[in-house]
Amino acid sequence: MVARFEALTVPKPGEDYRTPSKQRQIGLLLAFVGVVLAAVTLIANIAAAGDVGDGTSTRETLAWSFGLTTTAFGTVKLGIAVILVGILVRLWFRVKAVQETLPHLKAQGDGSAGPTGTIDTGWGKARATNSVPDPLPIHKMAKTMWFPMLAMGFMALIAGLVVSLVAAGQSNTGSFNSAFAWAQGTQFLGEAMLLGGISFLLGSILAALRAGGGLVQESLGITVKTLKMPATAKAFVGLMALGVMLGVTQFVLYGYVAVNASNNPGAWFAWLGPLRELSLGLILAGIVLALYTIGTALSFQFGRIKEIVATGR
Amino acid sequence: MSTQTKSPEALSTDFKIDTSTHSLGLNKPQQVGGKLWLPMFAMALMAFAAGFIVSLIQASELSDNGVSDTTAALNHVKAGVMFIGFASVFSAITFAIARILGVFRSGGGEVQELAGRPVHTMKMPPTAKIMMGGMMMAMMLILIPVVLHFVYAADVSNTAASLELSEERFIVLEGFRRLGVAVYLASIAFGLATIIRVLRFQAIRIRELPQI
Repeated sequence: MVARFEALTVPKPGEDYRTPSKQRQIGLLLAFVGVVLAAVTLIANIAAAGDVGDGTSTRETLAWSFGLTTTAFGTVKLGIAVILVGILVRLWFRVKAVQETLPHLKAQGDGSAGPTGTIDTGWGKARATNSVPDPLPIHKMAKTMWFPMLAMGFMALIAGLVVSLVAAGQSNTGSFNSAFAWAQGTQFLGEAMLLGGISFLLGSILAALRAGGGLVQESLGITVKTLKMPATAKAFVGLMALGVMLGVTQFVLYGYVAVNASNNPGAWFAWLGPLRELSLGLILAGIVLALYTIGTALSFQFGRIKEIVATGR
Repeated sequence: MSTQTKSPEALSTDFKIDTSTHSLGLNKPQQVGGKLWLPMFAMALMAFAAGFIVSLIQASELSDNGVSDTTAALNHVKAGVMFIGFASVFSAITFAIARILGVFRSGGGEVQELAGRPVHTMKMPPTAKIMMGGMMMAMMLILIPVVLHFVYAADVSNTAASLELSEERFIVLEGFRRLGVAVYLASIAFGLATIIRVLRFQAIRIRELPQI
């Protein structure tokens, strides 16, 4: 099973590096669908605002529009995840291209191997070895976890949408509060998982950059220089873990409110809303650091390619 | 390779490119991206923390005194501060993507230059322009409601009519904010789609270098 979805992130046998990416097209289509769904809920909200005096009608509309909006966000995020899979496939095409080309471009070295061990570079500390270093545990985890996180996240999102529709049909205030609490908790658990899946895909991109860079250098018979895990990558992992944990916590707390819906849920909803948003905010902040780290790793790689072209080692 | 379908862009010159003898370095948006991702990142973290603190104050007020002008005003402030956080973190993501595109542009050019070949640099593709346009549109869709949240927070009084008006306003602004988030996420998707196109261009260009 794991091998089956890992195969999605590498080029298929015989796939042409020149053909446009299918993942790119699918991802952009999903993003468009998500924006259209969000536009629909804007209209629903404007309609609901006009009915504020009629409490039940407003409540019903806001319940299903909440469910649909969160599903819209999830759909765009799924599109982003599909595009990230496309980036992974293209990165391996790039590795193959560099592997084939670099022997023709590199200068004739003096044949001596460079020093091994820890070295300083313009992009931070790196490790010089004679072979491709083993993948880091977090990279192995990322490659295993991205698909289950995305799948569970989207399922939770759809389940929450159904519950929000159920909530919209409740005339009893207690039943409505209970169902709506479940809808919010479930959908934001799904959102956190989707962002967690995206984070794991970014981790997989970092893993591919590390492995691919090592393979190119090893195939040339030169010292393999690999950037050590930068501080931004460590902070990325910490923020993602904290965000996902908060995502689970808000789900548990919404469950508690749903079971005890008669005990003034308004005060609970007042701070649980920002708590669930904080959860997503922390994962998004982690994603910023992951993207920054990808930029740094790419800079290091271009620097290394230039070094090989100029010195041959 | 001969059995494979020929793509519309099989050579680097089939893309819209600039040809030069030197690497063109970063373009303006990429320079801005490299500088602004960190301030946006820091602002996002501060706003999320501040928004959560405001929500705790509002929850305390609600459990002590029920719905009042204070809780209605805090509701607006809370949403405003939280969405400053979201606008900031999405901007930071967009800037970080621009930084990655900048690395591809300058790094790819430098490698071609060092190899003594003409430097082919892809012109900004439509997806990158949509990313920037989408980001600006999304920023407006979020920040205008944020400003209005603060204005309306100052306008709430403790009468039934004022509280009802405040709720109406909140619901409408919420719809716009949410659309802003969806547009922001979509513009991020366009930025990442640009990376795929750049990777395809580079995979083609790298293979051309030894042939020239």
